[in-house]
Amino acid sequence: MIAKDWISLVMIAGIVCISILVGGPLLAAENTDSWTENRVCLDCHRKVNINTNEGVVASNSFCLQCHSKPDCNRMVGKKRVSLQVLPATLQDTPHHYSACIHCHTDVARSPHRSESGAQCGACHTPHGEGTAHAPHLRVDCQACHFKSEFVQLDSRDGRIKLSRSNTAGEPIAIVDHGLANASDQQLCRRCHRAGNVVGAPASVLPAKSVLCIVCHPAPASVGHGLFWAATVIFLLGLFLMLRFWFIGAVQGEEKSLHRKIALSSDAIWQTIFSRQIWTVLKVLIIDIVMQRRILQESVQRWSLHSLIFLAILVRFALSLLTGLLFSINPEGELALALMNKNHPATAFVYDLLGLFILLGVLWAAIQRLVVKPAHVIAEIEDNITIGIIGALVVLGFLTTAVRLLLTQVPTELALYSFIGFSLSRLLGRLSVDWQSVYPVLWYAHAVMGAVLIAYLPFGKLKHVFNVPLTYLMEEVSGIKREKRV
Amino acid sequence: MQPGPHSSDSPIRFSVLHRFLHLVVMIGFTGLALTGFSLAFSATAPARAFMWLVGGTGHAAWLHRFCAVITYGCVVVHAFWFLYFKWCLDGRWTGPDSIFPVRKDFKDLRHNLAYFLGREKSPPAFDKFSYIDKIDYWALFMGMNTMGITGLVLWFPEWFTRYLPGYFVNIAQLLHFFEALLAVVVKFFIHIGMAHFRPAVYPADTSIFTGRSSHEQTTREELKI
Repeated sequence: MIAKDWISLVMIAGIVCISILVGGPLLAAENTDSWTENRVCLDCHRKVNINTNEGVVASNSFCLQCHSKPDCNRMVGKKRVSLQVLPATLQDTPHHYSACIHCHTDVARSPHRSESGAQCGACHTPHGEGTAHAPHLRVDCQACHFKSEFVQLDSRDGRIKLSRSNTAGEPIAIVDHGLANASDQQLCRRCHRAGNVVGAPASVLPAKSVLCIVCHPAPASVGHGLFWAATVIFLLGLFLMLRFWFIGAVQGEEKSLHRKIALSSDAIWQTIFSRQIWTVLKVLIIDIVMQRRILQESVQRWSLHSLIFLAILVRFALSLLTGLLFSINPEGELALALMNKNHPATAFVYDLLGLFILLGVLWAAIQRLVVKPAHVIAEIEDNITIGIIGALVVLGFLTTAVRLLLTQVPTELALYSFIGFSLSRLLGRLSVDWQSVYPVLWYAHAVMGAVLIAYLPFGKLKHVFNVPLTYLMEEVSGIKREKRV
Repeated sequence: MQPGPHSSDSPIRFSVLHRFLHLVVMIGFTGLALTGFSLAFSATAPARAFMWLVGGTGHAAWLHRFCAVITYGCVVVHAFWFLYFKWCLDGRWTGPDSIFPVRKDFKDLRHNLAYFLGREKSPPAFDKFSYIDKIDYWALFMGMNTMGITGLVLWFPEWFTRYLPGYFVNIAQLLHFFEALLAVVVKFFIHIGMAHFRPAVYPADTSIFTGRSSHEQTTREELKI
């Protein structure tokens, strides 16, 4: 008996030792807090494959066992708020075949509550400039796409969200999981009405146009009728300019327009696919982008012209880059940062470039109207051009200032738009209904932009097309450069 | 199809528009083949390497659609050119400069085969486009439309299945893959072989790039007269 007891004892001790030796490191390797941490229900319960219809049905029946019942409640203060979900309301949405935990990714655990809310971004990408322009980057998907009309500005993260309470402050339930009709503009009035609490302009503004890409990230559509008019006038101007160029003879051909186009395009083709392309590229970079010939004439004139031209060119390049990056990867950090007007780097760079343009315009105005040096022949066309660009930039800064004022962007973020921020501080002293003023400013800026684009092929800004072309043609044809005045 | 003569020493065979379209289609088609086959044969090492190089499947999909848009854009532009040629330039769709198959093509085929077998002393005097050129052209033209339509079905399945039964998407997928195989074999091997590796122009026929007829083609046109 004693021997048997000994054997049992040794065996038990051995098992305990082995358990400690083997299990200890295993337990240590696992998260030591795992016993006190949240438990994910589906770790032990059947983990269904929610990427199949069967899995979705199985998973949803698990959730709906409680959530389909009318007595599924939550207490907010002393008020009962229903947590019932009506599956029928999902019937007409694309989410009909989705599992609850597809969107509510962190609820299937104990304690049973959500930290992150429904995750739309797991499947959907953010809207581009066309559907919902940049200020909407801080609006939660549900704020627009759900049927509940109550929205709020969350002061903790500055995001606009679906509100859990109505205007009277009473908690509300979101029983209906159906989606609102997002193509209905009436939906936008949820925020875009006078006296809203989320800092939206009082009226619904159109999206930017592809024309705006000269200075802003823009969608690939023309958009509002105002921009259509500008586009038509711009294209007409280009057409007239091209027609004017082709009035003359091309390589001896005087009559047939088809032959003229064939001959000139053949000449271009022969230039591109020859060694001359290197000369062309050199002229393009040094004489056109870096404006060597203006610099050779006068440093002052180069500085003045560069403040306007290079700043616009950089903004144009940035906008094109944003569009390209967004079309390749809409979730990319860089694309979203470039689109986000409140991102520190974006805000600073765009404001700085705007300031450069404004300084250049002011300098040009002083040269033309006050200093009047001998080489400047002040023509009314020049003054119009400078006036349009100046007004455009000033209105742009004012719009930025009012936007910052309206949307209550936190100071530490807003001050990167250093001009807009300072202006917003000044404007904030006035007691004006900015929600109604913003649309007016926006339209004024948009009209000025449209006028600038429409005016491009007609006024002095025609030089944007003519001068580079002349430089290139002179270079290719070997015409000796003469000093211009 | 080039109207009128040219002042330079050799005659123009392809206008700038046609050279440009060929260049874009060449780039677009190669891009489509690379990205498409990397998806179709995604388990193989070259496909994985390519996917890694372009930054993942999402970017490859974007590239594929971008190439598809520019390539099919060329078909559309080319179709407009046909109308412009007919209506504005008063060009003829028939005759010796035509790209459409005519009875002479079959005669040329017989003549050419006989020449290969030593029964004829000289090759046939082709018109502007030989039957080989025409096969190349129409294979691509029809292939592009097949690929375009099936590709659209695969790009926007939700829209198409509003009007068509779901199995059309499966059919489109099958056709898209097999037509792609066919097109790549025809273009990369037969087209390049026939156009560039013929003894008369070997190692390359540059006329589609320079627009100018090569020496061989000039003689061929002389033969015609």
